[in-house]
Amino acid sequence: MNSYFFTQPFFKKNGRAIAIYFLVAIIFWFVFLVIIPQLYMLDLSFRTNVPPLERGGPKDFYTFEHYQHFVFGSKTAQDAFNFVDLGVFGRTILVSIFVTLANLAFCYPIAFYIAKIANPSTARLLIVSLIIPFWINELLRSFALRILFANEGVINNVLTGIGIIDQGILFITYDIGLYTGLIYAYILLMMFPLYNAIESLDVNQIEAAKDLGSSTFRTHWRVVIPHAKPGIVSGCTMVFMLTVGALATPVVLSSPNTLWFPQLIYQWFNMNDNWSRGSAYSIILLIISVIFVLTMMRIFKVRIGEIIR
Amino acid sequence: MTSSHVMKFMMGLYLFIFFTYLFGPLIIMSFTAFNSAEFPAITPWECFTFRWFNEGKIAYDGQHLAGLFTDWRLHDGLISSLIIGGGVVLLAVPIGMAAAIVLTQVKSQLRDIYYSISIMPVLFPGVIIGISTVVLWDRLAGLGGEGFISEIGRNGIFLTILAQTCFISTYCFLIFVARLQRFDQTQEEAALDLGASQTQVFFKILIPYLAPAIASAAVIAFLASFENYNTTVFSILSDQTLTTVIASKVRLGISPALSALALSIIALTIIAAVTYEILRRREEKKYALSQEKYVTEKAAISRIDKDYKVGFKIPKGIVAIILLVILCSYGGTQILKNDLYGQSCIDAADKEKKSKFLDQLQVLEQNELSDEELGGGNLGGNLDYGDIFGDPNLFQDFAF
Repeated sequence: MNSYFFTQPFFKKNGRAIAIYFLVAIIFWFVFLVIIPQLYMLDLSFRTNVPPLERGGPKDFYTFEHYQHFVFGSKTAQDAFNFVDLGVFGRTILVSIFVTLANLAFCYPIAFYIAKIANPSTARLLIVSLIIPFWINELLRSFALRILFANEGVINNVLTGIGIIDQGILFITYDIGLYTGLIYAYILLMMFPLYNAIESLDVNQIEAAKDLGSSTFRTHWRVVIPHAKPGIVSGCTMVFMLTVGALATPVVLSSPNTLWFPQLIYQWFNMNDNWSRGSAYSIILLIISVIFVLTMMRIFKVRIGEIIR
Repeated sequence: MTSSHVMKFMMGLYLFIFFTYLFGPLIIMSFTAFNSAEFPAITPWECFTFRWFNEGKIAYDGQHLAGLFTDWRLHDGLISSLIIGGGVVLLAVPIGMAAAIVLTQVKSQLRDIYYSISIMPVLFPGVIIGISTVVLWDRLAGLGGEGFISEIGRNGIFLTILAQTCFISTYCFLIFVARLQRFDQTQEEAALDLGASQTQVFFKILIPYLAPAIASAAVIAFLASFENYNTTVFSILSDQTLTTVIASKVRLGISPALSALALSIIALTIIAAVTYEILRRREEKKYALSQEKYVTEKAAISRIDKDYKVGFKIPKGIVAIILLVILCSYGGTQILKNDLYGQSCIDAADKEKKSKFLDQLQVLEQNELSDEELGGGNLGGNLDYGDIFGDPNLFQDFAF
């Protein structure tokens, strides 16, 4: 076994006690914490929803019912498709893509500034001040935005106080608060990969491009962005994954009549007590995430090791 | 020349807007913690108060809003969050370390696969990790009858530790991988040549070398566990952690006590960041001094003797601090002068609200209809029907 997996004989290299510790820790992690739970959830998503006592009984059989429910709706429904759930799903994905692109657009100038223009002490200060807001709980950050955007909130009160608008704008109802909150929530995870990637670019390359008469835009398009590609891919992947799977921010900021996809999962799971359907919807979310990562890797030709460091 | 000025100005403006976006909400939230109004707001400013940090308030209509120090649900949540954080550190750090060390020993063909599996949990949405852990352990608990397994399989704190360890181990793994990349393998070989056993090498060389990584992995693991919501909300079952308590509070209705909590966390964060920064600078200075000393000693003759500037240098930060102190004292005196602080102000505000409330009650009572009026006769809806039912000819045709 040793020679198949390891460069040197494993037990001899590490000593018996340490080798056993390594193996136990890794197998515990991979098998018991990562693989088995996911496989069991996959299995559950294909089963009927039965109370615990009837598990293994005649009512507990394999079925596609939950996936069918996601696409076609319940059997008694009038519509041909389950427009409610599909709508939530589509909206979640489209908004997540929008949030990712917005994050990229917002972060790129700052990352470039900190990495290449600012002097070291300013850069250091900026980085520390970037980190500080992200040590604060995501829920509390969303709560801060909620104070701003509530119907009787700070923004509405100030705007009506000045007299720009007569009536408060319904930021929460129209989900403006939610989109702002989602952009706010994971902006750091875009900033740092971008910063690291741009930081490793040699300044001489930028100057050479300038000396050869390239415009600022062209320099960025042809020199900086191609160099920063792994960082861009990494940041986009992380932000997209976290946004699609976000639960805390939507709980605080989404309007009462729209749902975010993980909220839908939460409802099936905790309020309707239908664990199988919750699992099926989770599997759908997982598949979308995997497809997104693979697409990003394929389009931009980066390895998975470059996405997460 | 002007175009570069414009660029600089635009960049400055953009930086300003960006950081306003980052900090503005937090700063405003911090202010709302000191407003005595029940709804966290700035503009109808009632009184300056510390009550959201202390006892909270019992409102005039009997509604009780707990303050930070009297809210037992927050305290319970905090305790279980600390327990979970400790458990996750104890599990995730050794797992991450083992996985990272083994990564250096895996054959190069397998390294990509091994690495991919190790970082996979970070790519799973948090809700999925929570759900999968719960469904698996619920099944195990069901199979286990009444024994130990069924006990822990339904224990929210235990499940949360497992679920969080699943992805926090990856964070630790990445920290250890980064540190191990700079490890000098010859140290190990030297120790082995000098007769150390493998176990001794591990404890005397590898562990001391990894010590900084262990420390930072522990801190990151604890923080990640402490502020996690997406996974925890599923795996905690009937228990509560700090984050789930906060979430349920936010959903039920927002109270300034949450602003007070957030402000406390912000203060802790800033203190930690400043301490870290000061320690780092001191360390750097020490290192630079030792390097300089080394160079001057090497040079023997004082060819590159620097003449140090002697004198007191005013640090730039002092201006900001002085400004802040002036602003605070000015604000404080203004608040005291206008009687915006203290019990009298709060009493006045409450009284006003109470009287408004009473007025409304009175209006309601005035508008309320007496039983007699509701009973029919001369008022409202019954008249229309009264006509119909009162008409003796209406059902004539139906009478046979």
